[in-house]
Amino acid sequence: MQPSNNSSRRQFLKRASAVAGAPALFHIVPARALGLQGEPAPSDILNLGHIGIGGRGRGFLRPEANLGKRVPAPANLGGDGTHALRPARSVALCDVDVKHLDDAATRVGGQPRLYKDFRRLLEDKDVDAVYIASPDHWHALMTVLACEAGKDVYVEKPACNTIEEGRAMVTAAERYGRVVQVGSQGRSQMGAWQANNFIKGGRIGKVSKVTCWHYASPQGDWTPDSDPPPELDYDTWVGPARWLPYNVKHTHGAFRWLIDFGGGQIRDRGAHVMSIASWIMDADYTGPVSVECTGEPPHDGMYDAAVTMEATYTFRNPNWTLVWGQPGNPSASMDARYGATYWGDTGNIAVTYGDGDSTHTEQKAVDYAAQCACPTVFRSPGHSANFEDCIRTREKPIMHIEAGHRVASLCILGNVAFQLRRKLDWDPVNERFRNDDEANRLLSRPGRGPWNL
Amino acid sequence: MIDEQKFLAAIRSSNAEERFAAWRDAGEAPPSAIPALGQLAGGADPAVAKAAAEALTTMVHAVGKSPGAANRGAVVKGLLTVAEQGPLPARVHALRLLSNIAGEDSVPAIANYLKSPELREEAVFALERIPGSAAAKAIMDAYPSAPADFQPRLLAALGHVRATDAAPLVERALHSGNKEIALAAARAYGRIGAKGWAAYPALDAYTGLQRNDLMDGMLRQADALARQGGPAEAMAIYRTALARPEEHWQCAAIVGLSKIGTTEAAAAIQPKLKSDQRTVRITAQQAWRRMAG
Repeated sequence: MQPSNNSSRRQFLKRASAVAGAPALFHIVPARALGLQGEPAPSDILNLGHIGIGGRGRGFLRPEANLGKRVPAPANLGGDGTHALRPARSVALCDVDVKHLDDAATRVGGQPRLYKDFRRLLEDKDVDAVYIASPDHWHALMTVLACEAGKDVYVEKPACNTIEEGRAMVTAAERYGRVVQVGSQGRSQMGAWQANNFIKGGRIGKVSKVTCWHYASPQGDWTPDSDPPPELDYDTWVGPARWLPYNVKHTHGAFRWLIDFGGGQIRDRGAHVMSIASWIMDADYTGPVSVECTGEPPHDGMYDAAVTMEATYTFRNPNWTLVWGQPGNPSASMDARYGATYWGDTGNIAVTYGDGDSTHTEQKAVDYAAQCACPTVFRSPGHSANFEDCIRTREKPIMHIEAGHRVASLCILGNVAFQLRRKLDWDPVNERFRNDDEANRLLSRPGRGPWNL
Repeated sequence: MIDEQKFLAAIRSSNAEERFAAWRDAGEAPPSAIPALGQLAGGADPAVAKAAAEALTTMVHAVGKSPGAANRGAVVKGLLTVAEQGPLPARVHALRLLSNIAGEDSVPAIANYLKSPELREEAVFALERIPGSAAAKAIMDAYPSAPADFQPRLLAALGHVRATDAAPLVERALHSGNKEIALAAARAYGRIGAKGWAAYPALDAYTGLQRNDLMDGMLRQADALARQGGPAEAMAIYRTALARPEEHWQCAAIVGLSKIGTTEAAAAIQPKLKSDQRTVRITAQQAWRRMAG
């Protein structure tokens, strides 16, 4: 497809600068260019690029037809329906699956530029920011290269698959002064905010334990390997991960059940549920001092991520314990398939989910937030809106990359302890295991072919 | 120690639970079973192959915590045998497992596979994870005779392991006529962060993301020089970035200069406080506040 004929933000700014330095000219300026008649001025419109647009990535698309309309931020983008999405246009789309690409182009309308190689999208000077919703094993490298290309980044959770990847993302964002938001959107939802205010208001006393619950991962079956379908560039799909033959049961959504790719429930939903725990417990810049894990891998079949597991993380200064339970112990007071209970010395409270439209907390926290005149916790206008606001202000978003890295680290440490079947001591400052040679080697995953951090 | 023949029979069992029980307890199996497990891991029955591969993995984890663990040497030796003689999927798996536990004494054997088109990726992966200087030296030794399409991967490995001794080799590669090699060298040189300063190729000879590779290498080098107490050399690089029109390179220079924190660095940032590029201006203001605070 050809570039859009509509004015882009950068083109507009370039022209505006030129006009500012030229003799005054009289001409008719269309209302749209001034932002009148309810339409955003081009200078207010963000031009977005999208990398990975099957499944989750579709939710970030900004159809051309919505431009100028007030579109409430949907719950799966961390909105609560009261705030509108910021004006933005999806100008560039990228996927290694041509079917995804064609489908997204149809959804967006207009004339987005289409790419199979994300590096070409990053070279597109018309793109202000990128939404990355590729499989997890691509998140880090794409984010780092996007920062190096001067793009602000919204990257899906979990931020990374190894500790080294996460630290590289933090460093790249800092080096280039980029805004990076990680897609643990629960922090931007009302229920989490209410619970955070309730707990920080001292309503359950000092919290010493957070227990998460989540249903088990699938056991998997035996599905024969096959040739990849013609629409998929499978070698690029594998990218920096270790090579394995194509199998329909481990690509696209099913990659989650392989540790090298998705890491199981703990790295998928754990990056939501434990993100809220990290936010409430003010642990976004630190980590546990130890982790131990029990559980069961699949007894048979092609997957290797834990079916059941209980990972226990010990934090110091302040002292508290975080438990990822799969299935764990669901809240007695709230009906939800996953969530967390916060245990204080004078009470407890549950927060459900943390990703989609079901992040809720108990009525006592809802009432407290409504009555309390002094909530101190930042209220995000929605996860995408917060990201796009920060593109303008250059402030850190609510799920900034350091927080995303630290939360992903919890998921990774849990999996490493599960794999090695021993208690691990962790140095959260230097991000190294203490006295465990093999565990320290698992902090990084060297790249493959041209795909290296 | 469990009985080797009973253990291998359980791995070959048609009963999934029997196979699972065997591989889950494989940490107690004798290392002498490893070559046989390698054969099974490359076999046609995926369920048995999985059980055998998982058994090998479990044996590695059982000796992984400490380099001095009992049986660690025997497990490594067994895996090297599988890497040498097993079916291809087992050879791949063995090299991946060797990345977890192999020591410097295994480096020559693993480095041999850098010459194998089928296994070179797995070999360099394993070498990158082996602590010590022997692995980097093996990669450096392999570099001159490696095919041109693999040399960028070797340079990436040297950068990844921060192989200071490789700085001269990487510096020479910066000026290769092969752009892929020169760009890989630029990335590697910045990651190594050697004390010297290399002359990077001219930015204008490259386009798009290639320029980012070059500038990123330079900025990483500047960051390293600043950390090592060479602010003058670092400042020179930051000034180069600061003079470019690309706003993100200017931002990177501002962030780097703010960490140096000298009066001279502040003076370099000051004009950017009024930059007409909004992102640059805000980054400068934030850096200014950090330096003042």
